[in-house]
Amino acid sequence: MKLALKSLLTASATALAVAVAAPAMMAEPPQTDYEPPRMPDGTPDMQGYWTNASLTTLEKPDNLPIIVPEKQAMMMAGLIEASAEADNAPTDPDAPAYEAGGAEVGGYNRFWMDFGSALAKVRGEYRSTWIVEPADGKLPYTEAGRKMAEDRLNEQREDYDNPEVRAAAERCTVGFGSTGGPPMLNVLYNNNYQIVQAPDKVAILVEMNHQTRMIRIDEEHRPEVMDQWLGDSVGSWDGDTLVVETTNFEPDISLRAATRHRLYMSPDAKVTEHFTRISPEEIFYEFWVEDPEVFTQVWKGEMILRQAEGPIYEYACHEANYSLPGILAGARREEKEAATAGGSK
Amino acid sequence: MNKKSKLYALAGVTAGALAVVGAASAHHAFSAEFDAEAPVLLRGEVTKVEWVNPHTWIHLAAEEEGSDETTAWMVEGGTPNTLLRNGLNKKSLQVGTPIIVRGYQSKDRLCAPACKANGRDITLSNGEKVFMGSSGTGAPNDGTDPRERRGPKTELPDVEPN
Repeated sequence: MKLALKSLLTASATALAVAVAAPAMMAEPPQTDYEPPRMPDGTPDMQGYWTNASLTTLEKPDNLPIIVPEKQAMMMAGLIEASAEADNAPTDPDAPAYEAGGAEVGGYNRFWMDFGSALAKVRGEYRSTWIVEPADGKLPYTEAGRKMAEDRLNEQREDYDNPEVRAAAERCTVGFGSTGGPPMLNVLYNNNYQIVQAPDKVAILVEMNHQTRMIRIDEEHRPEVMDQWLGDSVGSWDGDTLVVETTNFEPDISLRAATRHRLYMSPDAKVTEHFTRISPEEIFYEFWVEDPEVFTQVWKGEMILRQAEGPIYEYACHEANYSLPGILAGARREEKEAATAGGSK
Repeated sequence: MNKKSKLYALAGVTAGALAVVGAASAHHAFSAEFDAEAPVLLRGEVTKVEWVNPHTWIHLAAEEEGSDETTAWMVEGGTPNTLLRNGLNKKSLQVGTPIIVRGYQSKDRLCAPACKANGRDITLSNGEKVFMGSSGTGAPNDGTDPRERRGPKTELPDVEPN
């Protein structure tokens, strides 16, 4: 099949607004007769490898309805497949260098990417957004909250004075875009998790940056002064659903930006997550974000974590992070050039 | 919504996804580390592959035009985890393999121990992508494509927005 991708992309500039179809608001996981495997203590066994790689994004894209018709979802998958094939196709070995500042400026070949090949199917519907509350699928920022997000984003775009001002992901402290969560969101690659359970702990190993969320069961939160990179998570079992509440976020991870979302959460945010195994291959993942300083309301997302092939691969970001010194050295060079051009030295 | 509107809406999102590929910011912004105004074209043999996170680095001895001399360059790729999941590893690109790199030089312009660039397009001498040159090493496939779950692929509707 030959797809006129270029024409499609050109046409997208004049894309028409489409009606928003909100998914049914449901506070409970989907009804199912599925009986999960169980741990020796009787709790559902959710151990194994899981992924949330998907074309579905945190917020609703402007040009898609919340619930995407199956035919359209398959067309999207086809377009993504076609674009991957095009990017992976051979290149003219005699072609010249790219044009300076041209249309090809960017990172690297598609084969390094693993962002998913289709929209996620949640409650039997192809969804364009994980957000179900508010019904428009958009983050309900307060004016002040949106400004906080934009200010932090601008700071990271313009301030190269020292490592501390750079994004936590650049510094290899956490994965970018809230892949480690909570809430655990999908990004460009490494969307893989391993869950390991014990009676008093549930551990979620996050492939990006090789971090582990340690969820302490039936315990109290630590004192507020004890911030943690992925927050302080305590869990409990509500029937067959694992309920996790997280507070005490480290201020440096407030901006959880990725290519396709700009999530900002204050250190005082509270995230509540529900993990319910609904089939051999799926965990139904719900999350609520409560942060009155930043959002006008508690907002909710629904996601499916799908069974994945293991293992989780190490992501020892610190060990070979040439990028951060390179970024800072680049800024120093630009400053020197600017000073020279200005005649100050 | 008519067919054309649907296509436009679809294209809007697909454009976003494609932009992800083209501008792939990965764990840092491309523009923070590399200079979009400094494109490079490098030809030479692989001298070392650093199969490390957060970014793979492929080293090569780049030929100097009109000379027998070479210059050491290292080019940045993405995380190796995705390739590992597809059965590739650091031995998949052998030392001595001739490659062609199109990318952009690092803003720092530092060339010790090697000049740096990103590997926007890394190909073998015949133009095939370095990690895509043989069958069975296709693009990452996460199993969510509804057509795969049904077994044999169904025919997709032909998309020609005219």
